Amino acid sequence: MPERNLTRREVLAAAAAAGVASAWLPHAAVAQGSLASLAPEEPVDKTLQRLFGGRPIRDGAPLINLELPLIAEDGGNVVMSIEVKSPMTPQSYVKAIYVLSDKNPRPLNAKFIFTPGSGQAYVATSLRLADTGDVRAVAEMQDGALFMVKRAVRVVVAGCAV
Amino acid sequence: MSALGEVKIRVPASVARGSIARARALVIHPNERVERKDGKPVDRNYRFVNRVVVSYAGRDIAEFETSTSIGENPSFGFAFRANEPGTLKVTFFDTHGGRFEAAAEVKVG
Repeated sequence: MPERNLTRREVLAAAAAAGVASAWLPHAAVAQGSLASLAPEEPVDKTLQRLFGGRPIRDGAPLINLELPLIAEDGGNVVMSIEVKSPMTPQSYVKAIYVLSDKNPRPLNAKFIFTPGSGQAYVATSLRLADTGDVRAVAEMQDGALFMVKRAVRVVVAGCAV
Repeated sequence: MSALGEVKIRVPASVARGSIARARALVIHPNERVERKDGKPVDRNYRFVNRVVVSYAGRDIAEFETSTSIGENPSFGFAFRANEPGTLKVTFFDTHGGRFEAAAEVKVG
């Protein structure tokens, strides 16, 4: 061993690499990239059921602007943006936006969590899509109400196993 | 070539007080995808970004729970309410214990 003091980061990285999950590690649960750390492979209906139970999901068309290309040349990099209309005040704001891709083995791409300090329920990123199909955005309001929109995206070259 | 973990953050040069501004942050990262063999997913410790935290003026304002189904070199555009001048900070966490962050000062006029 070289004679030097390990930094906290190095100790954490070494512990994570060794698969040590002890209580003092604040992010022990997330320092794992095993299949078990990912959502299960399942049809999108099952993901919706798992996330929202039987809660009603209303049509989000008047509130949600989901932008995606009609045709994605590269399924590994599909540009997406979402904006949900909301005053974003402590009394009325969008708590989270879930993005799901129907044809991905694990349909949940991401969950975006907001606060009134976000100012707008807006997010833009790029998705991996396994195949041609619908992409959904589900907005969850501060009172738990759910709204959903979907867009069909034609994928030319699949984003492979995602 | 950029190195894994390098974070770039883009904010407007100045923002009117109380207005809502947009920014964008990107991390250089493979964001590994799940491999499949004979149609079955291979179980190993994949390295991907699974959490992103955005803070402004010392307060967390948004958090993203992400997965292997976000593209390579994950980038996120988002908004923030600029009630006061402050530091906009974005921190990316990955499944191998990586923690990558960048900060930018926001001038509020």
